[in-house]
Amino acid sequence: MRFFRIYKIFVAQKIKMLMEYRVDFLTGATSFLITQLTNLVFIGIIFGQIPHLNGFLFQEIIFIYGFSLMSKGLDHLLTDNFWKLAYFVVRKGDFDKYLTRPIDPLVHVIIENIEFDALGEFVTGIVLFIISSRKLKLHFGPLDILLLIIAVIFGAMIFTAIKILGASIAFWIQRSGSILQIFYGTSDFARYPTTIYNAFVKNLITYVIPFAFTSYYPAVYFLRGENPLFNIGGVVVAAVILLLISICVWNRGLSAYESAGS
Amino acid sequence: MIKVENVKKDFKKVVKDQGVKGSIKSLFNRKYEIVHAVDDISFNVDKGEILGFIGANGAGKSTTIKMLTGILTPTEGNVEINGKIPTKNRKEYVKEIGVVFGQRTQLWWDLPLVETFSVLKEIYNVDDDAFKKRMCFLNEVLELDAFIKSPVRTLSLGQRMRADLAASMIHSPKVLFLDEPTIGLDVAVKNNIRQAITQINEQEDTTIILTTHDLNDIETLCQRIVMIDKGKLIYDGTLANMKGQFGNFREVNMSLENSDEIDKLNFLDTFKLKKKDISINKTKEKVSISFNQDKLSIADMLEYLLKNTNIKDISVNDVNIEEIVCRMYGKEVSVND
Amino acid sequence: MTKLKKILKIYKPFTKAGLQSAMAYRTNFTFFVIGESLYCFVLYFIWKAVFASGGSNTFMGFSITDITVYVFLSNIVKFLIDTDSTVSMAEEIKDGSIIMRMIKPVNIDHSLLTFELGNKIMMIFCIFLPVMLGLEIYRYVILGKIAFNIFSFLLFSLSVVLGYLLSFYLNLIFGYLAFFLLNIWGFSILKGAILNFLSGATIPLAFFPGAVRAVLEQLPFASLVYAPTMIYMGKLSTNQILFTLLKQIIWLIVFVLISDFIWIKAQKRLEVQGG
Repeated sequence: MRFFRIYKIFVAQKIKMLMEYRVDFLTGATSFLITQLTNLVFIGIIFGQIPHLNGFLFQEIIFIYGFSLMSKGLDHLLTDNFWKLAYFVVRKGDFDKYLTRPIDPLVHVIIENIEFDALGEFVTGIVLFIISSRKLKLHFGPLDILLLIIAVIFGAMIFTAIKILGASIAFWIQRSGSILQIFYGTSDFARYPTTIYNAFVKNLITYVIPFAFTSYYPAVYFLRGENPLFNIGGVVVAAVILLLISICVWNRGLSAYESAGS
Repeated sequence: MIKVENVKKDFKKVVKDQGVKGSIKSLFNRKYEIVHAVDDISFNVDKGEILGFIGANGAGKSTTIKMLTGILTPTEGNVEINGKIPTKNRKEYVKEIGVVFGQRTQLWWDLPLVETFSVLKEIYNVDDDAFKKRMCFLNEVLELDAFIKSPVRTLSLGQRMRADLAASMIHSPKVLFLDEPTIGLDVAVKNNIRQAITQINEQEDTTIILTTHDLNDIETLCQRIVMIDKGKLIYDGTLANMKGQFGNFREVNMSLENSDEIDKLNFLDTFKLKKKDISINKTKEKVSISFNQDKLSIADMLEYLLKNTNIKDISVNDVNIEEIVCRMYGKEVSVND
Repeated sequence: MTKLKKILKIYKPFTKAGLQSAMAYRTNFTFFVIGESLYCFVLYFIWKAVFASGGSNTFMGFSITDITVYVFLSNIVKFLIDTDSTVSMAEEIKDGSIIMRMIKPVNIDHSLLTFELGNKIMMIFCIFLPVMLGLEIYRYVILGKIAFNIFSFLLFSLSVVLGYLLSFYLNLIFGYLAFFLLNIWGFSILKGAILNFLSGATIPLAFFPGAVRAVLEQLPFASLVYAPTMIYMGKLSTNQILFTLLKQIIWLIVFVLISDFIWIKAQKRLEVQGG
């Protein structure tokens, strides 16, 4: 429970900061919101010309898109500190701090920060999800809601695992921000049905960097009700495997850490 | 308490040629070289001792401290503190130590200081009563009250250092590592910090390892010093002994009517000195002479100078550590940084 | 002429330093470019699916070949006209290290520009030319004839240079604005999203509904990516090209004036802040 108490202090402070620097928070959250809106306009323009995209209706594409934002936004909200690690904490030798504390450095890094800018993504995701499910007249029973929550949480874990992996690389090469950016950037592919891609991309986002499990696969289960074992179970399996791998790499990275800067 | 045995640490460094050509060359062919940052060092520290750890920049001080604190794993050799090996059971080990890196802070930049302490309380799992008592003690020693409610980013350097010291001791560590705790502080604040360190050492019998560039830190705090250069241990003993061993040097700084006057003097023949016993540094405004006290007394030196030159201003100072280190290697002594 | 020579001599070290720093950070740079280009492939696949689902060979006058070239070319142009020296300048103003630039006997925007030129040289050789070659080969394979037009290419180059200068001064203004905010990072994400969208880097402006399109084409953002890309692809008539270049020049003058004005204001503020 002490983690919870530490977390409470950080969250409380962050909220105080939000009140003090309202403009900055609004800039941050709006920037993520606008980024999403421009993508929606793009989808809108496309659907002005075609009735469906590879068999998916406009509202269905929005549904998938909204889903992707929920897991992405959830992870973004909770584990944003890994970006700092990848870009400068390790390079400047500031990681030393975490190694002289009696709690696990990985846990320490995560609980140290909460990023409210992410609400711009998370809330947009929820809103799109709700609106499109209404328009599509989707019905969610208690089991569906449970599965939904599981899919979003484990989907977020896939993002977290990828971020841990990317940030770990900094232990060897000092600065891995742009590598992490590449990993993270592949999640853009997952916002649309995997059926529009060629086999290479499809396999990449299913089996290598399994971002398709953070959005398309679980979303298509709720749309079509097909194959829950793969579409929902896959999310859990992918998240657990990836998280184990990333923790392994992280631990190896810790012993390779060279603590730069005299 | 602390045992360091034949410890080595190697780093791999990319070698780069200069200029655009060099950059292009290294595009295709990366060369590495192994740097021995710490090369076969051994020493022991007893409980309650304050050890001064000195050496020039890049000598391997920080690397050694980082191995002692469990941040870096030694390439070879053993480190044992309180019967524990830092890099194994790191979580258990760090509960017993406190660390301050003078050049960076472990405080949370945006949190008020008091919140930083409550976070650390949870991180180190200190119970409420012990925490209250501890804060009272630290408050008394470091006078935190005046700024404990302010966000860390608004603190002055001296306040921040006091806060960092307090933060490193919230869990009553048995060993304290202080890496340049007085860097960049003014004289009054330095004294303040030194007093606090002495007090903590005396009241709690805390073992302290201190790195510094400031000879005054060493003189007021340390019973013993360990000096390293280029990763090798070159001295282990008391400060007085070191001065004896490597020449007990003093420095006279003065301004003359005309700096060239100094050229007329002949120290070597007048006092029968060897070349390594004295060095003169002359600029238009200032002349500084460092010399071996054992060969030439301060009184004789001053008398000779007063008689033969027109002095406007004069002072006698201790030679700083950098200079002693340089001297030990027979290098020309330059104006210190 | 001698004056120009003298200027070149003063700023040559900046360009050289820029080139060297681009070399030093090349790994990082390469990864950055790969990361940023991934979205091109997302777009490419979406357009492919759109053409397959729509059943028509052209879409607003763009064939699938056109749109493929557009997606990749516009992204490269986006890199060419992109500038980050202004964000670092905003930070320099904030922490006061801008003084180090002000005490040197060189013009601040010129030193930033020439420094970045080094960067751009590397980008042209390492990214632009290979991708252009790739696109031309792709066009040759699909169309069965060489589509490359040297005249279009020269006008395109001119238009990219104008686009870059425009982007530089636009960013300078953004940089000055960011100076008043703490969340520079959030602000630059916002700026990126808006620029991407309005400049035509996400979607050709021609695809927007009539009235919106007419407005967007007149805005300065269109001059950044959309204009040069359309010139390269030969989608514009000679008159349209001249008009486009003229628009770029006018906007450039406007932004230079605005940024000069803000810089004078910012300098005053700097004096107040400096202790």
